Amino acid sequence: MQRQHVKRETDLQIISTWVEEGQRVLDLGCGRGVLLEHLAQSKAVYGVGVDLDLGKAQACIRRGVNVYQGDALSLMKIYPDRAFDWVILSRTVQELEAPRAVFDEALRVGCRVAVGFVNFGYWKNRLSLLWRGALPRNEVFPLHWEEGSSGNSVAVRTFESFCERNGIRMERTVYLRGDWQRRCRFGAGFRAGYALYALSRATEATPALAADPPMPSTSHR
Amino acid sequence: MAAGVCHGLPWGGGLISFVCVNDPPTVSTQDLPGEVGLVEARDFVRRKPFLCASGDVLPEITLRYETYGHLNRAKDNAILIGHALSGDHHCAGIHRMTDRKSGWWNNMIGPGKPIDTERFFVICSNVLGGCMGSTGPRSTDPRTGEAYGLDFPIISIRDMVDAQYALITEELGLPVLHAVVGGSMGGMQALEWGRAYPDFVRRLLPMATTARQSAQAIAFNEVGRIAITQDPRWNGGRYDPQRGPDVGLAVARMMAHITYLSDQGMEVKFGRERVAGSTARTLFDPEFEVESYLRYQGRSFINRFDATSYLYITKAIDRFDLYGPEGQLEESLRPVTARVLAVGFSSDWLFPPSHNRAIVHALLRCGRDASYAEVKSDLGHDSFLVHSPELYALVSDFLAP
Repeated sequence: MQRQHVKRETDLQIISTWVEEGQRVLDLGCGRGVLLEHLAQSKAVYGVGVDLDLGKAQACIRRGVNVYQGDALSLMKIYPDRAFDWVILSRTVQELEAPRAVFDEALRVGCRVAVGFVNFGYWKNRLSLLWRGALPRNEVFPLHWEEGSSGNSVAVRTFESFCERNGIRMERTVYLRGDWQRRCRFGAGFRAGYALYALSRATEATPALAADPPMPSTSHR
Repeated sequence: MAAGVCHGLPWGGGLISFVCVNDPPTVSTQDLPGEVGLVEARDFVRRKPFLCASGDVLPEITLRYETYGHLNRAKDNAILIGHALSGDHHCAGIHRMTDRKSGWWNNMIGPGKPIDTERFFVICSNVLGGCMGSTGPRSTDPRTGEAYGLDFPIISIRDMVDAQYALITEELGLPVLHAVVGGSMGGMQALEWGRAYPDFVRRLLPMATTARQSAQAIAFNEVGRIAITQDPRWNGGRYDPQRGPDVGLAVARMMAHITYLSDQGMEVKFGRERVAGSTARTLFDPEFEVESYLRYQGRSFINRFDATSYLYITKAIDRFDLYGPEGQLEESLRPVTARVLAVGFSSDWLFPPSHNRAIVHALLRCGRDASYAEVKSDLGHDSFLVHSPELYALVSDFLAP
């Protein structure tokens, strides 16, 4: 399977098990609308996507997915508190210029926030800098620096520290290894290539999530 | 094109006979966009009173309209096009083989084009209050036998939509519209359709438009109206159509035309180019290309447009305000159930992107299915009328069933 497809499938499979039938979903950095289309078909959600790029917005429109071409922060500002059940940032955080502001808004307009990102602290990245003194280029960061878009990359440790310092509850955590498929059971900061979280505001009375559903069978691929 | 299309509906338009009398094309037209070809306008004459939103009544109305393509068996593939201030019902094709210009949205509408007449039955009518064949201030009041003039009721965008609704239900007998599409004032009609007849329309595609005319846009319209009413030939609206307030109307058009362009677009198109072989003998003969262009726009406008219609339609636009006295756009748009795509154009300063975005904001706050897309263009408000592959893709993808 193409690597891009693996990436897309991983988020799609795991986040789909978190979202429930008929819920309201806001997808920040929705790309071509694949996730929202899947959620609309499989879970009958009401979805809205946001993306800066006209080509991606057009792809969403072709899929029949609602899309707002523009800035995520300014769109979230129009919504009242808890307008969505889920706000999703799937492979979006590394593009954010002001992550704190985006998370503050996402946790306001969404009861929960689902985040998935590539772990910059992955061991091969560390080795690359240590041994070669060069930015990592590997299965998790496959692009050359000049082609890449990992402008504001984040590591598992960094992100979890951000959540702890800001009173954000990590209700669920899924770590995947460098192949983005097998679960990573220990040493995630070092061994995980990809991390997914379900977040909520610790202060708010969000009903607890149901028991963690079984992991989809991506590992068999 | 299949031979079966010959058995079209009575209002199928002139194209059908044009196509059928010829041999089928030898080259497949499936991939290349074609033309709707020869078309003819029809009149819907409605001989019963029409109640305007103001409470005034028109004893009867006529709407001039054109259609392209074919209605399907389920009668659910119709798309209504709303035209802008100076537009009309003739949005695609040509009336005569000698016509040098085709309809105003010919690049958008036709076989294989974004609004594909092979799939959709496309309808466009001249608005109520217009001067291209529909009932307007120049029409004869059957009660007096004379032109309405300033006795014509103040009409609104809602009245234009209600008249279109009568055309579509009474004359064409349609149960539903697949979409209403329009730019500028046509976009206002699309929005009004969505809230006035929510069960009747499935998709709305307003572009380069606004839910509320801004102070700046009202200001420009007002200068245009003053230019008309201060023309000595205005005569309180009682003028011979052949000798109307042409200077005032031309000035109004010239100024309005500037608002349809952009600084950058004018720089590219005209710059400081001088009129070729200029014979300007005085300082105030046209010297720059842009002056000559605007004079041409003014001159050609007076040959096709009526000054009183201009006053009425600009007033309808200026009064258009879906925010209402409470300033709550959501309340106006809450009835909308259609899927909506609003498109803004980056260099449009008359109805800027923010106005188009605000429409989508309000719909999204109501939990409706709405999208916003923004096309980069240097050509200002008129961007929606010109060749733009990005816009074409948005339109065809959004309209796809």
